[in-house]
Amino acid sequence: MSLVNYATREITCKIVYYGPGRSGKTTNLHYIYGQVPDDRKGKMVSLATQTDRTLFFDFLPLDLGTISGFTTKFQLYTVPGQVYYQTTRKLVLQGADGVVFVADSQARQLEENIESFQDLHANLAEQGIDARAVPLVIQYNKQDLPKDLILTTAELNDALNFRGVPEFGADALHGPGVFETLRSISELVLKRLSSPAK
Amino acid sequence: MTVVAVEAWVEAPLRRFVEDARTVLALLLHPSGQVVAQSGFARAIDVMSACALAAAIHASAGELGRQLEGRPFRGLHHAGRDRQLYLAEAPTARGPFLVLTVFDQESSLGLVRMYFDEFSRNLAAAAPPPPRNAEPVLAQQFEQDLNKNLATLFRRG
Repeated sequence: MSLVNYATREITCKIVYYGPGRSGKTTNLHYIYGQVPDDRKGKMVSLATQTDRTLFFDFLPLDLGTISGFTTKFQLYTVPGQVYYQTTRKLVLQGADGVVFVADSQARQLEENIESFQDLHANLAEQGIDARAVPLVIQYNKQDLPKDLILTTAELNDALNFRGVPEFGADALHGPGVFETLRSISELVLKRLSSPAK
Repeated sequence: MTVVAVEAWVEAPLRRFVEDARTVLALLLHPSGQVVAQSGFARAIDVMSACALAAAIHASAGELGRQLEGRPFRGLHHAGRDRQLYLAEAPTARGPFLVLTVFDQESSLGLVRMYFDEFSRNLAAAAPPPPRNAEPVLAQQFEQDLNKNLATLFRRG
């Protein structure tokens, strides 16, 4: 649920990066954090295990600047991808205005991607949210790996993108695709604020 | 103490709570982690981190309660050396809100809890009914602003 402050003309939106373990959700946020000027970002908060796997979430507040006269702020969250963190994924997903699904392009990770995508839909449904109504963008990360190890975006689309949502190939470690993904989910989320409520 | 609120109707109940309970910091937020009002924070960005963490603590305590006792734990207190925090939920017609309160020797847990109950009642009484059909917030053509701002953000401008 986007928060709109008409008095100070501010909008705050929550975006959740979802996906299987080690697909690159935290890497997306680290890349964004590294690129954005200091005055446009807050502290990145990471609740991680000793081995740097996300335990609860990563959190990065971003100031997008003024859009249609509203100061627009985004709060980026990641969820822990490992299967056994199901409960915390549900908690972080609460109140999300948009979701970026970060898939791992490696062929051997296809089952994990599908399982995580189904898990996303199940968790949204459990919260009474129609998954088809939630702004969603899919990112196929690790497209920089050798071609014999990964699936093409077309192959991954066949397996995951049955809704035909915007999709982007990415190399989150070095940046390609990260900006495009964020731009696309921002647009989808803000579009909801530019159309009358149904 | 100044109260900064996203929604005007929460301002008076929160101001009264902050003054009566003599809190150092107070945050009113949605369970999703979105800030609704704050008092005592110097930097807006610290408010966001505090909200994200408070929502996480509340959500995990609630879930632990559900798993252990079949119902969520409500209300959490931590005592530090100089400061203490109290986190609790206030139900309203607009849905539940969370309040994170930080206090020092000027106040006490008993005082904070007592005034929190009063605050919770005041907030519920002040809550307007949820809006039925919200008007569009942004102009139809917002993409140009968005693209320009994101380009600046990623130093592509």
